[in-house]
Amino acid sequence: MEQEVIVEQKEIVEQEDFVVQMRGISKVYPNGIAANKDVDFLLRRGEIHAIMGENGAGKSTLMKILFGLEQPTSGEILINGQSVAITSPNKAISLGIGMVHQHFMLVPSLTVAENIVLGMAPTTKSRFLIDFKKAVQIAEENAARYNLRIDPNAKVIDIPVGMKQKVEILKALVRGAKILILDEPTAVLTTQETSELFKELIALKEQGFTIIFISHKLKEIKQITDRLTIMRGGRSMGVYNTADISEKEISRLMVGRDVVLKVVKDKSQPTETVLKVRDLEYTNRWNKKMLDKVSFSVRKGEILGIAGVEGNGQRELVEMLFNLNTPDAGTVTVCGESIVNLSQDKIRNRGVSLVPEDRMTYGIADIASIEENVISDRFGNKRFNKGPLFNMREIHHESQNLIVDYRILAKSPKQQVKMLSGGNIQKVVVARELSSMPTLLIADQPTRGIDVGATEFIRNEIVELSRGGTAVLLVSADLNEVIELSDSLIVMYGGKIVGYFEDSSQLDDLTMGEYMLGLKHQTEEEIAKVSYE
Amino acid sequence: MSDRRLIVFNLLRGVAAISLALAVAAIFIFISSDEPLTALKYLLVGPVVSFKATGNVFNTTSFLTILAAMIPTIFSGLAVCVMFSANQFNLGGEGAIMLGGFVGALLGIYLDLNTGLHQVVCVLAGAVAGGLIMLIPAILKVKLGASEMVTSLMMNYVVMFVILHFLNFVFADRSKGATQTFPFLETARIPEIISNGTKLTWGFVVALIFVVIIALFMYRTKWGYAIRMIGINQSFAQYSGMQVGTVIILSQVIGGMLSGMGGSIEVLGRFSTFLWRELPGYGWLGITIAILAKNNPIFVPFAAFFIAYLNKGCNLMATYSDVPSEMIDIIQAAIFLFFAAEQFLAKYRQRIVVRNAQRDLALQETAASQGGINS
Repeated sequence: MEQEVIVEQKEIVEQEDFVVQMRGISKVYPNGIAANKDVDFLLRRGEIHAIMGENGAGKSTLMKILFGLEQPTSGEILINGQSVAITSPNKAISLGIGMVHQHFMLVPSLTVAENIVLGMAPTTKSRFLIDFKKAVQIAEENAARYNLRIDPNAKVIDIPVGMKQKVEILKALVRGAKILILDEPTAVLTTQETSELFKELIALKEQGFTIIFISHKLKEIKQITDRLTIMRGGRSMGVYNTADISEKEISRLMVGRDVVLKVVKDKSQPTETVLKVRDLEYTNRWNKKMLDKVSFSVRKGEILGIAGVEGNGQRELVEMLFNLNTPDAGTVTVCGESIVNLSQDKIRNRGVSLVPEDRMTYGIADIASIEENVISDRFGNKRFNKGPLFNMREIHHESQNLIVDYRILAKSPKQQVKMLSGGNIQKVVVARELSSMPTLLIADQPTRGIDVGATEFIRNEIVELSRGGTAVLLVSADLNEVIELSDSLIVMYGGKIVGYFEDSSQLDDLTMGEYMLGLKHQTEEEIAKVSYE
Repeated sequence: MSDRRLIVFNLLRGVAAISLALAVAAIFIFISSDEPLTALKYLLVGPVVSFKATGNVFNTTSFLTILAAMIPTIFSGLAVCVMFSANQFNLGGEGAIMLGGFVGALLGIYLDLNTGLHQVVCVLAGAVAGGLIMLIPAILKVKLGASEMVTSLMMNYVVMFVILHFLNFVFADRSKGATQTFPFLETARIPEIISNGTKLTWGFVVALIFVVIIALFMYRTKWGYAIRMIGINQSFAQYSGMQVGTVIILSQVIGGMLSGMGGSIEVLGRFSTFLWRELPGYGWLGITIAILAKNNPIFVPFAAFFIAYLNKGCNLMATYSDVPSEMIDIIQAAIFLFFAAEQFLAKYRQRIVVRNAQRDLALQETAASQGGINS
């Protein structure tokens, strides 16, 4: 039956106008991960085409190959019917392909206009100096033509995420891109910013641009795309007209089962206060106030969520709680004792655990083994030492248990952590941080960029821990996650707490979006309710 | 990575790197010599073979002198392994070796103890001196953020000139023509394992014991674990609650102690008075050795043997043929180039990886089609 489908596709190819044809693409990374296996990807001119799949499904790899960042191990790429070898991003750009990365590639200290013309800056007559006026003019003209509203003279560091993304899109368009690859463009946007982006994308489509849209948000895909390619485990699971396929069907194809994204949890029964944060203030080295009199409490047995668009002080707050940075003023106490300026081992000894936002920087030692990674907070325990030497048997035992308990998919405990998929790397971090039975767990973006299966597992583990009496502080930019997982919730905007919602099950994303964008805020009395004694 | 084929590949890569380097050396020899075959013969087999009219025989004495030459470089190689594992590019091994040798020598001259105890005290004192001097770059790094590479490098010369000052003006034996100390007491000298003049002293055994100790330390103790984790990812180590500053200092002090120990063992074993008038060069060799050994203590003796063999071969070649002994620098540089280049034979490695991945995949799929767990 499969063969018939392929024959059909081949017939279609001859009739239709494809801008991009990727045929039989396979990619094996030097670390042995086969990220793409015989993938076909066909892009019609002037469509918005979604590539869907869990993390690790091979979407990013496929797009990196198309943009020249990676070379395929085998397979063929045709652009406008011509077979090409895309050896570098420069080559891709010259072929009219532009990419907007999930993590923006902008120079923060330069202005918007300077970023847009970077590498192709207009010069004055002398040919040695950059013509800044001309740069601003180019930026403005293009912004107007494509209806992307930006402020060309603002420094990138000062502009909101939504605008940064527009700058990235403009960068690609100014370089002559006719095909735009957007890698999870909505991951960092609020609901309002997302709908604005969608309007702009549809406008671009009407002007004849072709857009590839990588995402795993079902609703958005249904809303904006014409067709979609679903990937799973490095293979293409087929191409579908968006209108003809149901969300359920998509999710079934993506993960091979029906995903329940709801978190099942009993009502919380919070008892005594564990974490007390009072009047925390911090101004960063660019003189931007990142934390402005932040006060809140977390109690035993509850999950307090912090929602907010990234960059509104959440990262700084977490850094202060784990002494990775020092506050200018304010107090932080855990069970009544101050933890400001305590070393990390003392903070950990007080029963505080942290699932860090950036797992590759803080969470793991990449070339060390899984075993070495899961014992990093407890290797000094008596249990793991026999005199001066390690008790290797206990250590093997511990790591083996954690691998089983936290369902880490690995060949052996000796495997290097960096050889694992993103979801399994995060499970290594979670296994270590949750298995120490913390009094307070700080979970900072605990499921960012990982597959649905691992996400579900980690969320359930966090709920279970909190119902067992741990106080949990959850920081997440994923709105669905904070609303579903938290018992109560605060919203941060501009370094301040702008809203407190005692029961997060009553919330919807539109209201939340308004708070997150700073359009709404509560009175101080309402916000003060989150500061229990 | 645990795949057997990849291990074999890594070994082959090492052999290939050395062969290529020697091939480059051979080219230079053919260019610069009128009798290239003789020169090559001395370089490659000269260190262990005597060429006699009656035939070629294995030269035991020469082989033992190669082992003897490994004594200080095993110690300096181990020292660099420990420091580089913590990502501390401390180049102070030279100074620590010279200081260790000097302190060991002074105690060997002026302290009166029974044999057995005397050597141990001298060597330990050398180790302590080496460890203490390394505190300087280590503390500067941790407290002030000064680059240990710069401070330790400069410290070598400070240490050397201070030693020369004391040697010239305080401890010199004025009855001798050259600047040197009084002779060590017999009780302090480290004896040869077999007295045959090869200088293969009991220090060699001690060096091998320390290979095992340091290997255990790095891979089987909490301190070694912390050193390695800090070397891989310092942010991770700090966040995990390790005492990063303390461990950074510890790694360099251990490096200094190993260097100092190597220095005193070398001085008390090879010489009868202290006569080093410049940095002995073992510290630099230690860096080469640690890189060849990929910071793994177990490989240090092999790397040290290779370097010692090469040195000896080059010296013989310089003596018995018309090739200058500077050739060794060219060979060493070539080996470095091939070893340091991670991409060396990367294409071939990639092919192995691809093949393995495809095999794994096929296995998984058969398992899945048979109703097994689809992982």
